[in-house]
Amino acid sequence: MFENILFFLSAALCIIGAAGVVFSKNLMHACVLLLASLFGIAGLYAVIGADFLAAAQLVIYAGGVVILMLFAVMLTGGSSDNSNKFGIEKIPAMGSTKTYVIAGFSVLVISFTVLKLMANFMKSYTKGELPAFSSTVEKIGTLLVTDHVLAFEISSILLLGALVGAAVIARPRKG
Amino acid sequence: MISLSSYLFISFTLFIAGIAVMIARKNIIAMMLGIELILNSAALNFAAYTRFINNNLEGHLMSLFIIVIAAAEAAVGLAIVIRFFQIKETIHIDDAAQLQS
Repeated sequence: MFENILFFLSAALCIIGAAGVVFSKNLMHACVLLLASLFGIAGLYAVIGADFLAAAQLVIYAGGVVILMLFAVMLTGGSSDNSNKFGIEKIPAMGSTKTYVIAGFSVLVISFTVLKLMANFMKSYTKGELPAFSSTVEKIGTLLVTDHVLAFEISSILLLGALVGAAVIARPRKG
Repeated sequence: MISLSSYLFISFTLFIAGIAVMIARKNIIAMMLGIELILNSAALNFAAYTRFINNNLEGHLMSLFIIVIAAAEAAVGLAIVIRFFQIKETIHIDDAAQLQS
């Protein structure tokens, strides 16, 4: 029961936040709504028992990436105002009936095909009850330094390179 | 109710939202928000599959590496955006048409 409530709240937060990122006109609001969507994803991780993943999602995204995005928005002075009320820039094909007719037919055909392909697949993998919760932190730590140690080390080198590269790219240059 | 198909539906919605943001917005930072949504939908798919199909932890590790790569990508991308703003005084994507200023 509690899991169902958490699942519905997280899914609603996630989808509403993603729709807000698409439709909001102000870039600052879009960043904050992305934060809501990422909180929803962390809740979805918690529902399926991935506790370490939910904590990492909260720490890295809410504490790091979204704050970085907000800093970049403020340093570059916000967005220019040449979009319509959905936050979507006007292009010449928007507003003509032909565009909407073609898009409607494309959506019908693609969704029918995708649902037809995925119906059997989805039916065959539904399980009713979730097993009991067990902490995953210890197992993830063990796997990370035994089976996946090469990827672990490569990601550390990648992070170092990204940090040095970001500092080199963003430094002010003379002349 | 908590099943694989509902997780796949949420992930699909996030992916479509990310693609729509990347197509419709012309602001570079807004396009990076779309990239974050797409990466998160992929990570959610990995976690859901590893939970509902074989129940080992390989998918969790893959989601962790996706989070690491997304953080690195955000750092370098925002550094490029700030440098581009220092040179061109704008962050409209159509103004980024040449490699050397």
